[in-house]
Amino acid sequence: MDEMIIAILRSSTPLIYVTLAGVLAQRTGIWNLGLEGLMIIGACATVLGIAITGSFLQGFLLAVGLCVAASVLLWFVIERLKANQIIAGLGLTGLGLGGTAFAVEAYMGSQVAVTVSSGAPKAGPVLGAFGVLSIFVLLMPVVVLGLWVLLKCTRFGLQLAACGEHAFAARSVGADPSRIRLIALAAGGVLCAAGGAELATGSLQLFAQNMTAGRGFMAFAAVIFGAGHPVWSTFAALFFAVAGVLGIRVQLTFGDNIPHGLLQTLPYLATILGVWVSGKLRGGAKAATLTEEQSDV
Amino acid sequence: MHRSFVPALSCSGVTVQYGPVTAIAGLSIEFAPDLIHAVVGQNGAGKTTFARVAAGLVRPEQGQISVNGRPLPTGSVPNARAAGVELVHQSFALPPSFTIAEAMEFGSTRPGGIFSGRSLARRWKSHLRSLDITADPNSRIRDLPIEIQQGVEIARALVTESKLLILDEPTAVLSPSGIDLLFDRIRRLKSMGVTVVLILHKIREVLAVADTVTVLRGGKHVAGPLPCTELESASLARLIIGDGTTVREGGDIKALTGADAPESFERTAVPVTETPARTTAPLLEIRAVSTAPDSEGPPLSQIDVTLQPGEILGVAGVEGNGQRTLVRAIAGHADLISGTILFSGVDVTRENLTERRRQGLRIIPFERNTEGLSLTSSLWENWSSGALLQGSLLRYVRPAQMRASCDTTLSRWDVLYHDCRQSAGSLSGGNAQKLILAREIDDEARLIVAAQPGRGLDVGATAFVWDALRSARDRGCGVLLISSDLDELFDISDRVLVMLSGRSVGEHSAPYDLQAIGAAMTGANQ
Repeated sequence: MDEMIIAILRSSTPLIYVTLAGVLAQRTGIWNLGLEGLMIIGACATVLGIAITGSFLQGFLLAVGLCVAASVLLWFVIERLKANQIIAGLGLTGLGLGGTAFAVEAYMGSQVAVTVSSGAPKAGPVLGAFGVLSIFVLLMPVVVLGLWVLLKCTRFGLQLAACGEHAFAARSVGADPSRIRLIALAAGGVLCAAGGAELATGSLQLFAQNMTAGRGFMAFAAVIFGAGHPVWSTFAALFFAVAGVLGIRVQLTFGDNIPHGLLQTLPYLATILGVWVSGKLRGGAKAATLTEEQSDV
Repeated sequence: MHRSFVPALSCSGVTVQYGPVTAIAGLSIEFAPDLIHAVVGQNGAGKTTFARVAAGLVRPEQGQISVNGRPLPTGSVPNARAAGVELVHQSFALPPSFTIAEAMEFGSTRPGGIFSGRSLARRWKSHLRSLDITADPNSRIRDLPIEIQQGVEIARALVTESKLLILDEPTAVLSPSGIDLLFDRIRRLKSMGVTVVLILHKIREVLAVADTVTVLRGGKHVAGPLPCTELESASLARLIIGDGTTVREGGDIKALTGADAPESFERTAVPVTETPARTTAPLLEIRAVSTAPDSEGPPLSQIDVTLQPGEILGVAGVEGNGQRTLVRAIAGHADLISGTILFSGVDVTRENLTERRRQGLRIIPFERNTEGLSLTSSLWENWSSGALLQGSLLRYVRPAQMRASCDTTLSRWDVLYHDCRQSAGSLSGGNAQKLILAREIDDEARLIVAAQPGRGLDVGATAFVWDALRSARDRGCGVLLISSDLDELFDISDRVLVMLSGRSVGEHSAPYDLQAIGAAMTGANQ
């Protein structure tokens, strides 16, 4: 049982961090389809940083810096250059996937995976069997609750939500939606760096090309499934992760009797199911638009 | 007026341009403190822009705003709010999912800290009560009736020590009794030492509440602030409309500016064409229709509507009482639970919009720019879309021919344009509405649903729309006119039906009794 819980926590934590980044963006009115790209930048930068400096902390800081920079770039393209946010997000994802593959090739001289000798700090023997979990897993509930408090119980959170729901209302009380979106996206960059770092160094110590394998998009789906609520979206991400772990379990139990590929699709099927269910429950996600309604002059 | 005061708000030489359009040009006004000031003008006169400049939402190209004699940096909401200027928007600006308490808090400038829903409700309880808002602070904005939403919006504007409150067309969405309530509220604010600037477009309302009136026309200052005691509605109407326009005299002007006597409306005697003996079935018959609930306001509930050929049936009601769902039900886009819809006695309940259009249904939709037109498409494409959807989708179309007949029709409808290949988005509001009329009121039109056809149009364009509807009626078409503007309804409807919460709550015929209809709109007589 412990083993099962550990497996679920390990596979859900990266997804949850990235989901929270998506929640922050969604609340300000941005559907961030760049999550996949940000996550893989976080994973790659952490591993390469460790490989270069030998220190996890420096690797992680490099990941945070790059993810924040990429998020700010996304903000600039959407807010200042007025690009379509969906296209811009997908562009960032493409940049992340391609850029990390390129970075690995440039650093290693070939396209193999990069392995490093140290990973994220672990909880240690105090927690018994759970001691193998990384600090990212332990911090995850704190971050979820912290974000919930920020959004629900502070004025900044209300203004942030107002930006996404009714930007003109936010502007009318003197808030600056553009700046709030910048803050939300930059904070999301930090969360994506954490998600990527946990994916690459939480239980493994390696980076492989395309290792996020669509998790950024699953996180995006979790935001929709959870209606942009930090706690519900976290549970949605947890649900997708459980589906994945169960798939592996089933495979271990039944071996080759069930096609390998079919089981691997389980988390993705769960994602589609989740989005379909949430669409049925709430009448679908709202269209992504940052334009304010302007009545007559 | 003599300047024996430091003006609460003054603007000098303010000019605002939206692209090539000059919204206001060199506007200079001064408002004395502790009074209720009205600013009036037609649509497009620059009233809303003026309000937004004063509140810091729009940065003017030129000009200066001063509050209590101190110049204010323009284009900054925080600065304007710090100086005590607050603006209540025409279509309210509160996030619908917020609770009342959250709506107070998100615009507050007092130290906030971390709060819970309960502590927030406690924090704002006394503030809300002092403004007579008794609704539960934890109820959500979207669940509130429109009068209370407006009250909450005013309370939101007063969370700081506001000294100058600007309300942008606050009466546009209210029922007559809601307007009385609002005016009481405004008078109370005045007694509390708040200077109020009210943007209005009905003379009747100006004279009922304001101390002074200022008239804008075409983005320029025409007159004022004039003391209201020395004014007559007729001269004010002339100031608002100007002398150069060629709109119809008489009833329309009065109705358009709301200068009529307030108590009851004698309809200008438009002779109703002798209704032929009703041997034929009514043009439109809606029998006990109910719809499934959805996000667009209350569902229809057992509603009955009958429309004869050659009549204009007005549908009155405060916005958001099922009017949109009614239009969608007639168009075949609503989710009907029960009931039937008949066109000329033929059951069309299961037919789609194309089939209904084939039977003569035409719709002038609520939202001109999103439902009525594709702004990025050309005029001729917009114009021909109605006809193209009839018949086989695979038939051969000759664009040149389409363009030629589009040109003929548009010039007949007085649309101002230079090439029918220009995009619909380049038309002004009035011309865009004429383009829709040109498409919808064609020779095959029999049943015309006109949803807020005069909204956002200036007086001339509105009069044009009314004339078009009247002549369609005189040709034997049936017109269902949905409007929240009672003046519009009273002026051109043969009968008026009142909607409340998705039901029909009574029918009225001329002469209309404003009190009775107002009471029906708000459910006061139930």
